[in-house]
Amino acid sequence: MRKIPYLLLAALVAGMICSPLAWSKGKSIKIGINAPITGDNPKVGEGTKFAAEMWLADVTAAGGIEVGGSRYPVQLVIEDNEYKPESAVKATTKMIIEDEILVMVGPQASSQAVPAGGVADSYATPMISPWSTNPNTTKDRPYVFRGCFLDPFQGPVVANFIKGEFGAVKAAVLYDVAADYSKGLAEEFKKAWEGINGPGSVAAFESFTTKDTDFSSQLTKIKNSGAEVIFTPQYYSEVALIVPQARELGWDKPIVGSDSWGSADLIKLCGPACFGLYFSTHYAAAGAAGPTREFIDRYQAKYGYVPDDVAALTWDSLRIVQAAIEQTGKLSGKIENDRAAVRDAMAKIREFEGITGKMTFTEEGDPSKCAVIVRITDQGEFAFHKSVCP
Amino acid sequence: MRAISPITPPAGKRPLRCRIFDPFRETPLLAWLFGAGLAVLLEHLLGESFAALVGLAKVPVLFGLMIILSKPLLFPGALLYVAVIYLLPLVTVALLLARPANTAAAALLRLGPAVSVLFHLALFYAVLHFWAEISGYREMTVKFTLIAVLLTLSLNLINGYMGEFSCSHPGFMALGAYGASIFSLSLFVNDPLFGKALLPAFLGPWLFPLGLVGGGLLAALGALLIAIPSFKTRGDYLAIISLAFLFIVKSLLENLPFVGGPRGMGSQPDYASLPVVFAWTAMGVWIMNNYVRSTLGRSLNAIRDDEAAAEAMSVNTRHTKMTAFMFAAFWAGVAGGLFAHMMRFINPATFGVQRLAEMLAMVYFGGLNSVYGSIVGAVSLNLLGEVLRPLELFKWIFIPLLLILVMIFRPTGLLAFRDFDAVRLVQPRSRDRQGGAP
Repeated sequence: MRKIPYLLLAALVAGMICSPLAWSKGKSIKIGINAPITGDNPKVGEGTKFAAEMWLADVTAAGGIEVGGSRYPVQLVIEDNEYKPESAVKATTKMIIEDEILVMVGPQASSQAVPAGGVADSYATPMISPWSTNPNTTKDRPYVFRGCFLDPFQGPVVANFIKGEFGAVKAAVLYDVAADYSKGLAEEFKKAWEGINGPGSVAAFESFTTKDTDFSSQLTKIKNSGAEVIFTPQYYSEVALIVPQARELGWDKPIVGSDSWGSADLIKLCGPACFGLYFSTHYAAAGAAGPTREFIDRYQAKYGYVPDDVAALTWDSLRIVQAAIEQTGKLSGKIENDRAAVRDAMAKIREFEGITGKMTFTEEGDPSKCAVIVRITDQGEFAFHKSVCP
Repeated sequence: MRAISPITPPAGKRPLRCRIFDPFRETPLLAWLFGAGLAVLLEHLLGESFAALVGLAKVPVLFGLMIILSKPLLFPGALLYVAVIYLLPLVTVALLLARPANTAAAALLRLGPAVSVLFHLALFYAVLHFWAEISGYREMTVKFTLIAVLLTLSLNLINGYMGEFSCSHPGFMALGAYGASIFSLSLFVNDPLFGKALLPAFLGPWLFPLGLVGGGLLAALGALLIAIPSFKTRGDYLAIISLAFLFIVKSLLENLPFVGGPRGMGSQPDYASLPVVFAWTAMGVWIMNNYVRSTLGRSLNAIRDDEAAAEAMSVNTRHTKMTAFMFAAFWAGVAGGLFAHMMRFINPATFGVQRLAEMLAMVYFGGLNSVYGSIVGAVSLNLLGEVLRPLELFKWIFIPLLLILVMIFRPTGLLAFRDFDAVRLVQPRSRDRQGGAP
């Protein structure tokens, strides 16, 4: 029994001698990924993680990121934000201070990206949120960027598309009042539509709350209002209820949606009722060509399903980060200076060729990029119809 | 005064636990605090170079546990760091300074218990402050933990001391958070929701306590609204009514455009610094501890055990329950206000059922009917949540498993039925107490 302490001591000394083996040798670039791996929306976290791992495999195969002639290996630090604002703040602080990441990609949803952006900006660490559409994420935060277009852009895009495609004068809007995304976009659309067609041209502005399943009263009102088209910025599960109910009530005019429609499950749930409809989104999977096609095929081969827009936007964000790091020209090794350099390089990016379109960052750190209008074909595929640029 | 048994039997025959703790029996809290202070000082002076010496890239942020879990090979370094930087100075000072510290503690106590307690508290804060100063991540964890202590203790008042199962606490927290946020956003910040600042910004930190108290009062008002109809019911029915209140608050906030609706409110000024959060938490714990030790608190226990008997023994049950409910809601509101100014963003979804589950877990893990237990529950679950990050998904297997084990082996929680006696805590521990406590 008395030998146990000595044995422990010996083990400790042996461990001490071995532990330098575990040191991470050489300088590597650390990229933080802030994703909802657990929580309410694990599918979003999964898409983020898969896209990031695919990107890492590419970079590792190339021997790392090349900066100023030398190649730096890349390490991903993936932290779970549990789809909660406070966990996103904790994960962000941990990655910035403890892991000393150079850049952070994520969080995806605005409710986490807004507080995490505040933290990243206060620690002067560049952050890019691939998916957050809330203007507050990047507002007055020089270090925060995003990879997607905003609601104030998407609203007018849809309004202009409807005007040009159908020549309608009166439109109706049906939206969820309790979801921040739907409400914001509905209001942006209304503003844009009234700007084109004059006040009163939104014939019906009807709302419901999350988890409602019967829309007949709102749809009847819309039908009687004389509207020529419905715009409904809802998630695919609700769209699959709204569209068939509208058809049953005898609505045979067009229904148009937004990027939240873009899920393969839409066709599974909605069926033929949704064929021939249009919505605006970040990229079109069917009929894609070039690098976009390549990304979709690789992702599908590796993980077994067509990537949704979160994965595609994360992929683009990571490639923007890579381009920005490469353009700094030199890494000093002092993390504060390097972060500032990456931030400046990121703000200078012009005409970046992403799989979700060309991007150029504005002063606020928001990309001005084209939106894609997708038509649902009679086979239930999302086919490219046209792209609308700012 | 209680006598402490003067004779210790010869070492060797006694269990290991006693043999380890025996030498420290005469160490007062003061000496422990000095030891911790020395450890923190040492970390400031030598931490980084010593960490490099034992092969760690950075100073271990939370006692090296995170390093051990993410890179098991580094465990000897992390262990050595904790032993040399933390344990060694702590133990040395606790042993060597026990005598002088006892004399000092006795002298302090002669100046008055309040002086002594405040001195200890100040010393504790100093240690905490310098410990947290080493890394921003540490400081943030400490702040979240302190807020959680306040929340847990306030929920324990209802679920533990009063013995009712209330589910509305996140609702109270939301009311406090929104109340305090509206206060500071409308008065001191140019905000898109509330327009131009009404008062100069430098007044903000000074008037912030008013905002917190305002938020707390709003929460107490909410508690009154739910208390009036619901205290005719008990048990399950109260749980359901309070759950309904939680949903009412949440959907109310979602549908009010002037507080941002589902998008929430952001960019609150950064008023919740570590000293502010600590001061409010210390005050909250002190006041709530006094409350449960007062007649009101004791009658709360009487109601929990048998309401009819309590009524017969002249306890005004309705009044007592109402006061306790509003009092607990007030502190939950204060905690919410601190939370909002620390996160600098709130949205209605933050205050949902998930938050309720977290709060209940902290209460039942730490111990029902217990001030110590609330502190232990909040601190341990918060630290575990951070320390176990490297386990990723398994974190959500480990923590619930721990909860289940606690529920099986200690059904009332780790440290149930303990209040806090601050004076006993700070008094000297010597056998021959020449100075003596009062």
